[in-house]
Amino acid sequence: MPAVATEDRGRDKKLEDILRLIELCRNVQSSSVNPFEVDIREKLLVLKRHLPEWNVIDVMLKDSEAMQQLVAIVKLQDQYIKHRASALYIDPLLLELKITLISKEELAESFAKCWHPIAQLDQLTPRGLEKAFVYWRELVPFSERFKDQFGNYGEPTGTIGLEELESLSIFTKEEFEARLTAISEELVDKSDGKEIDYRGFIKGKDPEETALRGYLIAFVVTEGKATLRTDPLTEQIFISVMQGKPDDETKSVAIVVR
Amino acid sequence: MSESANPPGAATQPTEAAAERASLDRKTRKAFQVLILQRGRNPGVKGWEMRRYLGKDYKKILEVLSNDLKPLGLEVHQVPGPEGTDDSTRFLLRFRDPPTLAEAETAGFRIDDLAVLAATIALVNSKQGRISRKELESFLKGKFPRWRIDYSVDRYIKRGYIDQDDKDLIRIGWRTRAEIDERSLMTLILAQGTQSKTTSGKQ
Repeated sequence: MPAVATEDRGRDKKLEDILRLIELCRNVQSSSVNPFEVDIREKLLVLKRHLPEWNVIDVMLKDSEAMQQLVAIVKLQDQYIKHRASALYIDPLLLELKITLISKEELAESFAKCWHPIAQLDQLTPRGLEKAFVYWRELVPFSERFKDQFGNYGEPTGTIGLEELESLSIFTKEEFEARLTAISEELVDKSDGKEIDYRGFIKGKDPEETALRGYLIAFVVTEGKATLRTDPLTEQIFISVMQGKPDDETKSVAIVVR
Repeated sequence: MSESANPPGAATQPTEAAAERASLDRKTRKAFQVLILQRGRNPGVKGWEMRRYLGKDYKKILEVLSNDLKPLGLEVHQVPGPEGTDDSTRFLLRFRDPPTLAEAETAGFRIDDLAVLAATIALVNSKQGRISRKELESFLKGKFPRWRIDYSVDRYIKRGYIDQDDKDLIRIGWRTRAEIDERSLMTLILAQGTQSKTTSGKQ
């Protein structure tokens, strides 16, 4: 068994060599690193040494990919030599230093001195004119263009109050008062003079009901009939009924309905 | 009397020459019209299109046109295509002499924009014609504000002065090859500091 484990480890190490070689070649291709940093001869010898040991198709494919990457590096080396031999070759470090030292105006001036802008004319052709005409003719007025997707967006967004909801017969005042009284009584019953978990209390059978119960509890707390307390360590929120007659002063509270 | 002294067919020679001249003028005019009007997305006309419009001697006609345009400060310039063949070569009209910096500014190029482009072209050429965008931005950051670099590099990619491939490698674009004398640019940048020193030394 230990011999098998050693053999596996050796195979993993060889596969890792190939993967590292592929990664190295990719890095050289995607940067301006000198391609001669890759020792092609040495890498080919590594591939040659490992090749007879591969018997899994996936690993063989990796091996051929590594070979392909080496070919790409040889191609880059060819370009590198051609570029160095060309008149455009200037030591990059020297050039970087120069660019850093000279002013923006001097750079722009150098550019302008060897710039020959292209002379051309943008001309409206009869075909282009016809296309423009057809487009304009078939263009739907702006007010109706997105009506299907977004409805009538002519009205600005705004807020809707309880009075308006009542006028639209969506929510009646009696219904709201009845629900508020019911939830207050439920709180009194469940808490029995002690603190209870707020999230557990407002939880309904679905998210809509939970939101509605949280909304109503906010009114109960605002009226001074109940109070909320957050444990700073656990961040658990507790709700309890206020003892005695509520004071006249209303207060604003932030509610959590999650 | 004089007519009888001339050999037969001499009268037709001036007519042929005039016809040839007229044909050349017509083809030169046609070449100018073809070059000045932008047809596709990029300016210029490829060699195979020129052959179709002007015939197989299109290069000679373009030479004549280039000479005719000299008084107007224009020239016909050819940019070799990727295949290096005559058919893939792109011909275009360009300024014979470079504009002044003030003229460049009136064409909508700020000094900062031109400086970014000059530095980019010089740097890409010094790095074997390719540099990663990250490396380029990191270098330019020392001289220009970040927002200016992003804006200018994107703008020059769009205009064809530089190319960016799917590996985020920046290369020289076709427009730079067409409009800019790259060798002169590199030499001028290298000479800028020494020119200033020489001038200040003389003073």
